[in-house]
Amino acid sequence: MQTLNYTKTKQAARWFDVRRRKAGMWAYALNRITGIGLVIYLYLHLGVLSLLIRGQSSWDTFVGVARSPFVLTLDVILLAGILIHGLNGLRLAITGFGFSMGAQKALFIIVMLIGAITLLIAAIKIFTI
Amino acid sequence: MSENPFAREPRPTTAWLWQVFTGVGLVVLLGLHMIANHFVAKGGLRNYHEVVAYLRNPAILSLEILFLLCVTTHALLGVRAIFLDFGLSDRDETILSQILKWIGVLTIGYGLVVMWCVIR
Repeated sequence: MQTLNYTKTKQAARWFDVRRRKAGMWAYALNRITGIGLVIYLYLHLGVLSLLIRGQSSWDTFVGVARSPFVLTLDVILLAGILIHGLNGLRLAITGFGFSMGAQKALFIIVMLIGAITLLIAAIKIFTI
Repeated sequence: MSENPFAREPRPTTAWLWQVFTGVGLVVLLGLHMIANHFVAKGGLRNYHEVVAYLRNPAILSLEILFLLCVTTHALLGVRAIFLDFGLSDRDETILSQILKWIGVLTIGYGLVVMWCVIR
């Protein structure tokens, strides 16, 4: 695009580099990276759901594959992305409306701990269901 | 310039408010979707007949449609926010918004067609 300014592009891409950055930048970068991953997953998921249109055999064959340990591991990674993005997003919403502005780092650490505990419980559930 | 990373986070605009609104909705709807489809279902996924029976429940269908609307809106607003970081002109921002709007319409349309094909 003609209006894509190189300097702005470079500045906009800075969020991706979190080396020697503070917790706030980690939170920002994590939200973006998980967000991009989840958008890609959304369209993959919608694509997979087209198997339902093809009928019972297509879907049930997929279900068999989806229960393999490899896919279950991918499910855990997906869940990690959902938890990071969702919980960090809630933190962003709270602080975006002006609440807990002075405790953003603490809030980030708390939501990530909640996410880690939830992920652990869910991962056990996923592999034992 | 001293770095305050939290200051780079979004400020309330109409798009940002919609992102928050759909995001909060998603926390609830995605939670229900995950529990109902993956944690309650035997083996972590419903087979074909179970999916059909599940979606034929009007309350479930309504929630799944709401989920589709929220997730698509939230995702595309997020994509828009990332593109806007690259300093687009007003004209390019309008074009981007139009493109994403139509991608959203097609995505929701596709999701509704899949649901219709399953429950009919």
